[in-house]
Amino acid sequence: MKKHVLLKKIPGYVVIIISSLIMITPFVTAVFNSLKTYTQYTAVPPKWIPDPVMWSNYAEVWKLTDFSQYTVNSLIVSVLSVIGSILSSSMIAYAFARLRFPFKNTLFMMVLGTMMIPPVVTIIPQFIIFKNLGMLDTLMPLWVIEWLGQPFGIFLMRQAFLSIPKSYEEAAKLDGCNPFQIYWKIFLPMCKPALATLAVFTFMGKWNEILAPVIYLTSQENFTLPIGILSLGGQWFGNEQFLVAAALMSLIPILLIFLVAEKYFVQGANNSGIK
Amino acid sequence: MARRFVSLTVSMMLVLFLFMTGCSSSADPQGSGDQVELKLGFYSSGASDAKMQELIDGFMKKHPNIKVTTETAPYGQFFQKLDTRIAAGNAPDLWLSDGVLVAKYAERGAIKDLTEWIDKDLNKEDYYGLDFNKDAEGRYWAVPQGIQIGVLFYNKDLFDQAGVSYPTEDWTYDDLKKAAAKLTLDSKGKNADDPKFDGKSVSQFGLTFFSITEGWFPVMKAYGGGVLDPTMKKSIIDSPENRQAVEWMVDGMKRGIITDPSDLKSFKSPMEVFPSKSAAMWFGIYARVLAANESGLNHDVTLLPKGPSGKRFAPVIANSWVINNKADDAKAKAAWEWIKYWVTEDEVQSEWAVLGEAVPVKKSVANSDAFLNSGNKKINKQAFLDSFEFAGTLDTNAVWNEWVQVFGDNVDRAFLGEVPVNKALGEADRGVQKTLDQFYQK
Repeated sequence: MKKHVLLKKIPGYVVIIISSLIMITPFVTAVFNSLKTYTQYTAVPPKWIPDPVMWSNYAEVWKLTDFSQYTVNSLIVSVLSVIGSILSSSMIAYAFARLRFPFKNTLFMMVLGTMMIPPVVTIIPQFIIFKNLGMLDTLMPLWVIEWLGQPFGIFLMRQAFLSIPKSYEEAAKLDGCNPFQIYWKIFLPMCKPALATLAVFTFMGKWNEILAPVIYLTSQENFTLPIGILSLGGQWFGNEQFLVAAALMSLIPILLIFLVAEKYFVQGANNSGIK
Repeated sequence: MARRFVSLTVSMMLVLFLFMTGCSSSADPQGSGDQVELKLGFYSSGASDAKMQELIDGFMKKHPNIKVTTETAPYGQFFQKLDTRIAAGNAPDLWLSDGVLVAKYAERGAIKDLTEWIDKDLNKEDYYGLDFNKDAEGRYWAVPQGIQIGVLFYNKDLFDQAGVSYPTEDWTYDDLKKAAAKLTLDSKGKNADDPKFDGKSVSQFGLTFFSITEGWFPVMKAYGGGVLDPTMKKSIIDSPENRQAVEWMVDGMKRGIITDPSDLKSFKSPMEVFPSKSAAMWFGIYARVLAANESGLNHDVTLLPKGPSGKRFAPVIANSWVINNKADDAKAKAAWEWIKYWVTEDEVQSEWAVLGEAVPVKKSVANSDAFLNSGNKKINKQAFLDSFEFAGTLDTNAVWNEWVQVFGDNVDRAFLGEVPVNKALGEADRGVQKTLDQFYQK
């Protein structure tokens, strides 16, 4: 009987193994490419396994760029953005999900409507605002905006709050909680998966963001990782093997965060209907 | 309870605002007294940023009253950012423009006319390429920072293996094609002259080229054609000379001698065909020497071939310094001091030449060992300098990016054999003229 069940599972495992190999091939190729000389990197037909293995490419990246400073800048932007988006989006979402005020639905539709506006349309007005606030060439424009609520986060958290039965709220009211306490002590702890999803999305978005850092940052010491890495290339000569090595190094924090938050991430994605 | 919630929220917003304003930097720097603060924009590169900073430090030492602050971004993003900053009235006082974009900034009023200063302070005979930034009315808008000029690169090992003589300065495009056929090999090692040659399994191309500068433009010009007339506002694409030039390219691609747009897709980038030894020849600009050297190729360069009537053409991109039209008098003068420092100082020119990224602007430096014998690998760098005799820009104007896209899309269809050459050029002509009219006839 057990043997029969095992046999039935084999095709599934084969499919999973083959798909996993297909999925991991680009990553493995990138790792190999990061360890090649330029001659090997451009060789046709491609040489898959680097020979010699150029570990020095990784050291070269540190020499050619201020990689540690870029990493610190990216961490500052990403962490502050995560904190800001979790606090502001959840607070706004709570209001939309649970409080009663005039034009609530119209306002919510307007918030969702802003998701349809391409970022390039708003970049010049936003630039002028940050210029007038004296924030150009600082990291602030990159994270401050997340403290003012982001439409995706508001939508995600509102969905999560709507799934909480009203009886929790009523019980808390009877116990003397005000709306902020209900939000802070009851709703937020019950929506950890959605919060984790929002945190991971925000972190990934900010970690990989290119447009805003390019527009707002001008001094190299303020660069975040993506533009620091792109700067390696120059106009004419790619140094592509260094670019790949730098890109792989920049992946490490994202991988760590995903591994730590994977459970919440998957759960949150399921609950909110994100595919 | 509601009031407490509202006051709590307002307090949090206030704290946030105070934090924001407390952390923000001071407003944009302004010159005060004799001291001038100059914002200099350039696209960054891992290979050259340190040298640029060194030269900036040298400039500030020489001009203690000028403080230079830099604004950089990776090449691909620099101009996107610049457009935003120009729109917001916050562009740097001086920036390094890609040579093909100078006309765009000039015709949109974003940069200063430098004619008067150039006439007063620079002896034009001493520099390469000043005229590359001159418009049809004779106004100078920029001063080159470094020049890219096209020559014919060839892989000596592949020529030796095929028993073909190296290219000479007397070559015509037909000579090039004849040699390229012998250098094109299929997967069985047969060359393109062999009746059993399989053009669908080429493992080594005779010639690779792509896009405009290192592709169709120099061929069309050598054949007596081109894209725009001297006013840069009228298309001259649909001409017998251009048809002949494009026929020459299409024939080479059909026979598998020249890479076509679909062949290029099997490479990580079109720039890697020659360095990967997959092509024996390449129309390359000066900066390509770096990649060829890095790949350990046994290569050299010579002049681009002559067209049927003996005409020759070398494409040029002169990346140039431009001054913001909105820079105040003091800043504009400081910016001009930087430009003079860059082009007139032998030390600056030599230091930049060492990087091997561009041909120096100052003739005395370009014709010295600092350029001609720089680098570990000796190649015929004189060919780059000799090519100035017949060099020209890429018909740059305010809508250069747009018309290149229109022309490229149409000519690629001819290269891929999807439409006859006549039809592709006719459609390109109409499309390019429409693009020009949309801007110039407003």
